[in-house]
Amino acid sequence: MLIVEIVFTGLLMGSFYALMALGLTLVFGILKIVNFAHGEFFMIGAYAYTLLVVWAGLPQVPAMLSAVALGALAGVLMERLLMRPLYTGVIGPGALRDEYAIIVTFGLSLFLINLSHQVLGPYPVKGPDLVAVSRMELFGMFVSPHRLLASGLAVLTLALIVWLIRTTVWGKRVQAVAQNRFGAAIAGIDHARVSALVLALSGGIVALSGALLSPLFHAYPDVGAFPAVKSFVVVVLGGMGSIPGSILGGLLLGVLENFGAIYISYEYRDTFGFIILMLVLLLRPQGLFGERAREV
Amino acid sequence: MRRIALSPADHRLAFAVLGVVALIPLGVRSEYWLGVLITGLYFAMLAQSWNLLAGIAGLFSMAPAAFAMVGAYTTGLLHHHLQIGPGVGVPAGAVVAAAVGFGLGRITLRLRGAYLALTTLAFSEILRLVIANSIEWTRGDLGLSVPGILGGAKVPILYLFLGVLAAYQALLLLLLRSRVGLFLLAIRDDEVGAVARGVDLVRYKTLAFTLSAAGCGVAGALFVHFLQLASPELGLILQTGLVISMVVIGGMGTATGPLVGALLVEVAAEALREVGVRHLLVFSALVILVGRFFREGLMGLLARLAPGARLVARPASDAERLA
Repeated sequence: MLIVEIVFTGLLMGSFYALMALGLTLVFGILKIVNFAHGEFFMIGAYAYTLLVVWAGLPQVPAMLSAVALGALAGVLMERLLMRPLYTGVIGPGALRDEYAIIVTFGLSLFLINLSHQVLGPYPVKGPDLVAVSRMELFGMFVSPHRLLASGLAVLTLALIVWLIRTTVWGKRVQAVAQNRFGAAIAGIDHARVSALVLALSGGIVALSGALLSPLFHAYPDVGAFPAVKSFVVVVLGGMGSIPGSILGGLLLGVLENFGAIYISYEYRDTFGFIILMLVLLLRPQGLFGERAREV
Repeated sequence: MRRIALSPADHRLAFAVLGVVALIPLGVRSEYWLGVLITGLYFAMLAQSWNLLAGIAGLFSMAPAAFAMVGAYTTGLLHHHLQIGPGVGVPAGAVVAAAVGFGLGRITLRLRGAYLALTTLAFSEILRLVIANSIEWTRGDLGLSVPGILGGAKVPILYLFLGVLAAYQALLLLLLRSRVGLFLLAIRDDEVGAVARGVDLVRYKTLAFTLSAAGCGVAGALFVHFLQLASPELGLILQTGLVISMVVIGGMGTATGPLVGALLVEVAAEALREVGVRHLLVFSALVILVGRFFREGLMGLLARLAPGARLVARPASDAERLA
C-alpha cells in the first residue's frame, strides 16, 4: 500500500515536472538554447494568479487564464527583445551563441527575481485553492482535492500541447523549424513567428504550473528556482528537445524523488535531482530519448 | 568573430588599476568603505578566476562561488575541528579547491556551452546542500566561526587582499603571455581547430579549471577570515550571478575588465543600498544590455573611445561585427 501511495503522489508531482519540462524542451528544440529564465515564468504565473484573486478579488478561473496569458506575453516579449539575435546572425556561430544565450537568459532571470523583490517584497503569498475541501480519501489514501484537480489539468494541458504539435499546421511548422531553421525558412515558414509562438506556449504552460501550484509553494520572488532546476533535470534526463522524453522524464523524476525522500534521506531530497542531472550529463549526455548529435 | 584578445596595454592597465586601489586607504579612512573595498577585492579575485575559465578558455562554468565555498570551508573546518590557524588554512583552501577544480575539469572535459553550465550549476548546488545539511560537521546554516586575521585592522587586510590579487594577476600575465595563453584562446575560439593543430585539449582545459578553482579557493578562504564566519551562503547561485555580472559588465576575456567590473559593481552596490534599490536589479539589467548590444563590456567601450591606447590586440572590424 505504501509503495502504491509513494508512486501515486510521485506521479501527481511528476505531472507538473513534465509540464514545466515540456516548456523548456520546446524552447530548446527550436532555439537550441537552455532558457535559464524558465523558472521566472513560473513565478509570474504564481504571482499573477495569487494577486488577482487575493488583491483584485477575481474568481479563480479568470485569474488563472490571465496568469497563462501573462506568461505567454512574457514569452513573446522575451523572443522579440532577446532571442532574435540568435538567428539573425548578429551573434556568430557555435560557442558564442551558447555564451550569449546563457548570459542573456541568466541575466533576465536575475532581473525578474530582483524586480519582483523590489516591487512586491520578499514575503510569500499563499495561492488560493481551486476546491474548498482540504482533504479527501481516495482508495484508502488521503489526498488534497486541489492537487488532484491541478494534476488533472496539468495532464490535460500536456495532452493538448502534444496534440497541437503533432497534428495542427502550426505544430508542424514548429517541428519543421526545430529540425532545420533554414530549410523551414526556404519552405516559406516564418521562423521568427514560430519561435515567438513556442516561447509563448512555453511561458503560458509554465505560468499555468505556477498558478496551479501556488497553494503549495506560494508566490514569492525566488519561487522560480525549484521549477527551473526540476525542468533542467527532467530535460537532461529525457533528452534535450525530446517531447516524450520530457513527459516520461518528469513522471519518472516525481516518483524517484518520492522514493528517495522516504527511503534514503529527507534532508538530502533536493540533491537527488542534481545528482541525476550530473550523472546523465556525464554518462549519457543525449538523455534517455535524445538523439546523439555531434557538434562540428 | 567578435572576440578580442588581450593586449600588453590591457595587462598594464590592470596593474595600474591595482595601483590606484593601493592608494585609496591613504585618502579613505572610513572603516565602512574600507570593508566595502575589501569585499570588492574578494569579488575581483573571483571575477578574475572565472574570467580565466569562461572569458579566456571559453568554458562557461557556474561554479565560482562553489569553489570559494570549498576554500572557505577548508580553512573553517581545519580551525573548527583541529584548531589549525589561517597560516595553514588559507593555502590548504587553495590546494583543496584546486584539487576539486581539477576533478570537475576532468569529468566535464567533453561538455560545452549550456551542458557545461548545467553540470557545474548542479555540482555547485549539490556541494552547497551537502554543506548546509551536514550539521554535525559544519553546523549547517549557522556557519563556522573562524578567527580574524591581522588583528581585524581593515587597512592591513586590504593590502593583504591586494597583494594576493596582484600575485594572481601576475601569474595570469605570465601564463597568458606564454604559449599556454594562446592555446587557451585557441580552445575558446575553435576547439576542433585547436586539436587539429596539436593543442593538448585535456591538459589545458584541466589547467584552466584547476587554476581558476585555486584562485576562487584562496579568495574564499581569505574572505571568511575577514568576515570571521564561513557559511553556505558563500556558495549561493546568486553569488555566482554577481561574479558573472561583474565580468560581463567589465568585459569578458580582458585582463582589466573583471577587476574594474568587480570594484565598480561592489561600490555601486553599496551606493544603491543607500538609495533603497536592490543592486542586482540594476546589474542584471546592465548584463542584459551589455550582452545584447555591446558585448565587449566596459573594456570594449574604452577600447573604442581610445583606439590609440591599443587596449585590444585585434579589434573586430565593422564588417565582422555585422557578419
